[in-house]
Amino acid sequence: MKLSPFFHVNNRIAKTVTVLLAIPALLLPAACLLYILFKGIPALHWDMLAGTASAVSFGAIGSLWPQVAGSLLLMLGACMIAAPVALGIALFHALCASARQQRMLLSLLHLLQGIPPIVYGLCGLIVLVHMLHWGICLLTGAIILAVIILPMLVLNTVHAIDRIPLERTEAARALGMRDGQIVRRVWLPAAWPSLLTGLLLGMARALSETAPILFTATVFSGINWPDSLFSPVTSLQTHIFYLAQEGANAQAVNIAWASAVILVALVTTFSISASALRKIRVGG
Amino acid sequence: MNTKRKTSDMLVATAQPATTTDGVSLQVSGLKLSLGGKNILRDISFSLREHGINILIGPSGAGKSTLLRCLNQLHADWQGEMLIMNHHARQWPGGTDALRHQMGLIAQKPAVFPCSIEKNVTFGLSSRERKHPPAGLIERVLRQAVLWDEVKDRLHESAAILSIGQQQRLCIARALALSPSMLLLDEPTASLDPRSKQLIEASLSQLAETMPLLCVTHDIEQAQRLGGQIIFMCDGRIIEIASADTFFTRPERLEAREFLRWSTCDCS
Amino acid sequence: MLNLWMRASVFITLVVVILMLGFLVSQSWPYWWQYGIGMLFAGEWYPYERLFGMAPAIIGSFWAAVVALIIAIPTGIAAAVMSTELMSGPWRGLLRGGMELLAGIPSVVYGLLGLWVLLPFLQSSLNLLTGHNLLAAGLLLSVMVLPTIMVMAQDALHEVHINQREAALSLGIDWNTRLWRVLLPQAWPGIRSGILLALGRALGETMAVMLVVGSMDRIPDPWYNLLAPAQTLTSRIGREIGEATFGSIHFAALMACGLLLAVATIAISLLAQEKRGQFTFFPGEAGSRKK
Repeated sequence: MKLSPFFHVNNRIAKTVTVLLAIPALLLPAACLLYILFKGIPALHWDMLAGTASAVSFGAIGSLWPQVAGSLLLMLGACMIAAPVALGIALFHALCASARQQRMLLSLLHLLQGIPPIVYGLCGLIVLVHMLHWGICLLTGAIILAVIILPMLVLNTVHAIDRIPLERTEAARALGMRDGQIVRRVWLPAAWPSLLTGLLLGMARALSETAPILFTATVFSGINWPDSLFSPVTSLQTHIFYLAQEGANAQAVNIAWASAVILVALVTTFSISASALRKIRVGG
Repeated sequence: MNTKRKTSDMLVATAQPATTTDGVSLQVSGLKLSLGGKNILRDISFSLREHGINILIGPSGAGKSTLLRCLNQLHADWQGEMLIMNHHARQWPGGTDALRHQMGLIAQKPAVFPCSIEKNVTFGLSSRERKHPPAGLIERVLRQAVLWDEVKDRLHESAAILSIGQQQRLCIARALALSPSMLLLDEPTASLDPRSKQLIEASLSQLAETMPLLCVTHDIEQAQRLGGQIIFMCDGRIIEIASADTFFTRPERLEAREFLRWSTCDCS
Repeated sequence: MLNLWMRASVFITLVVVILMLGFLVSQSWPYWWQYGIGMLFAGEWYPYERLFGMAPAIIGSFWAAVVALIIAIPTGIAAAVMSTELMSGPWRGLLRGGMELLAGIPSVVYGLLGLWVLLPFLQSSLNLLTGHNLLAAGLLLSVMVLPTIMVMAQDALHEVHINQREAALSLGIDWNTRLWRVLLPQAWPGIRSGILLALGRALGETMAVMLVVGSMDRIPDPWYNLLAPAQTLTSRIGREIGEATFGSIHFAALMACGLLLAVATIAISLLAQEKRGQFTFFPGEAGSRKK
């Protein structure tokens, strides 16, 4: 008689196998984090952030301040572009769209979310850098990152609005409130923690994307503070990428680890505040 | 697992009884359970004869469902003594899973598995028995659950398309397929239509001739229809145990009288 | 005002999406027109000799993703089962937090880890000339997609209704039978979406792969040789886009790589949505699919 092999394995064996298979998932997070800290913290000098060291001589002690500033500028730019658009689309989904439009919108967003960031980078390269002749600049990078985080922001906002009890909205409507008033006085007060959570996660995502800005927004060095939106920037992410390949220069690799620590710290700050915010519920 | 179950059956038949009480399927004494610091069950003692209906009634929050879940070992950290077929529940040969085969539990809301009706009936069996179910088993248990006539032509269709009442009877059949020595029913007919209710009651009366049933209900009229022994619970304690006739005509305790008065008021 | 804002947002997004795909197609058009679809199967990619065969990068992407999934699927599902079925509250939270941490580490940092930890290790333990190879890319990717699979599987297992668990429990079905016959089958749609998402992510990941894969345009020889330097679609774009002049055939070929990636990932997400019963570009389908 043919028996399925799994059903006659003793429970204890099954549990042991499960635990054994899961061991990498248990150990890897701690291992990765500890190794990054182990390599990065000794390489981290206060001078790097204080801006006292010169930005150009990355060989000895380079200042990382321009890189941090560049990363944060790109992130802020992306959020400032994406957030209003995302809110607009989510409100369209909640207020205007028919059931079919809603489904198509969500499908489209899931599709966009699945497209690799580097493809967005390529499109930005064609249109913004070459066709509009903006060149490699801050604005290009911010727009590309905005498009990348947009689906995530919209989906998050849509879910946040969905979670508002329908009775509340209907009660407001019964009081004769118009859409704009409902959004301002019922939805935003109820949903702001979720919206902010989404925004913070979007920021974390924008900070960690590297490939799409590598050839559209950043240069390796020589920029302390961008003069305008159309000036290129330096960023932590791409800095790590360039320095990591300087195999012959041990100091450069050390700085790469230090940058990695700063980047991971920034990203986790955003995601931890996001998960702290998630616990806040407004108005029971 | 199959072999385990077989040995457990054998042990039930041959092992030395822990106490010498004949004709008693289940004996519970001094059962206590607290969940999250709250005492849900305090000092429960009762016994079930080897066949017949036992109705567990009482106000909401009395611990009736919790008691059934304790008997099925879904709450495992109870204290006290539980003798099932004259065996201590904690030392059941073959472990908890084998013990659960003996105590069919029917939940209030039917939970059918997303597969065919036939597969649902045989779900609890060992894999060998599932591949080749004993001849006539499916028909026998479906007949016992008064469902056979409705589903005999579509045993391979999904169980999800059945009505809630049919799903509940399917759950009864599923428990019966394990040939349990008793059935525990947690408000089996709550939120069912009158027709299904009637069918299930018929099935229960029939089953009670061969095994003990312990049935939680809120429905006083149903309790009167089913008859048998009434166990009245309130606030985690058993207040009164009496035959149905005595209980509904001359309840002894004040709580029982209050409960009956309020319940009949609610109904009318 | 509100109305204008909402409609403008949707309109802008749609225009951006259409323009994006339009430009990808139009910019890669010279390549398709000049070389034809057969270049997908050609093995030589030498930009200076104007040979642009796609096969090495396609095979490389395929292998890297397959290695990643082979490792990440069992680990991720086992971790999800462990967290929902074997662990209690605080431990479960810790595991989930760990996964979120892994998901939050930027890909370029994974690249750094891969380059300076994984490659020396592979090089010395397998006695290779260079650690740069597809196996390294696959291993790195498996760590990166593990959180996706684990979190989706965990959510799917959570959503298996308590009724179903208790029904199985009260029938006296033992732990691993419950797992294989109740929990995993019912959680499968969610787990499958997680796997497909992870596949898309593995195909599209750039920085980490680019740092460890070696960027050599060769078809693995023999076909299962994962231990030689290779190339993936993403690493090729990342390495060469800086050198290619806008409008040249090289640029068009790189755009073609991007188009391939976009098409593949769109197909994967359509598949994921369809399997979830949410495939909704054809109205009526979704409704009839639900029971």
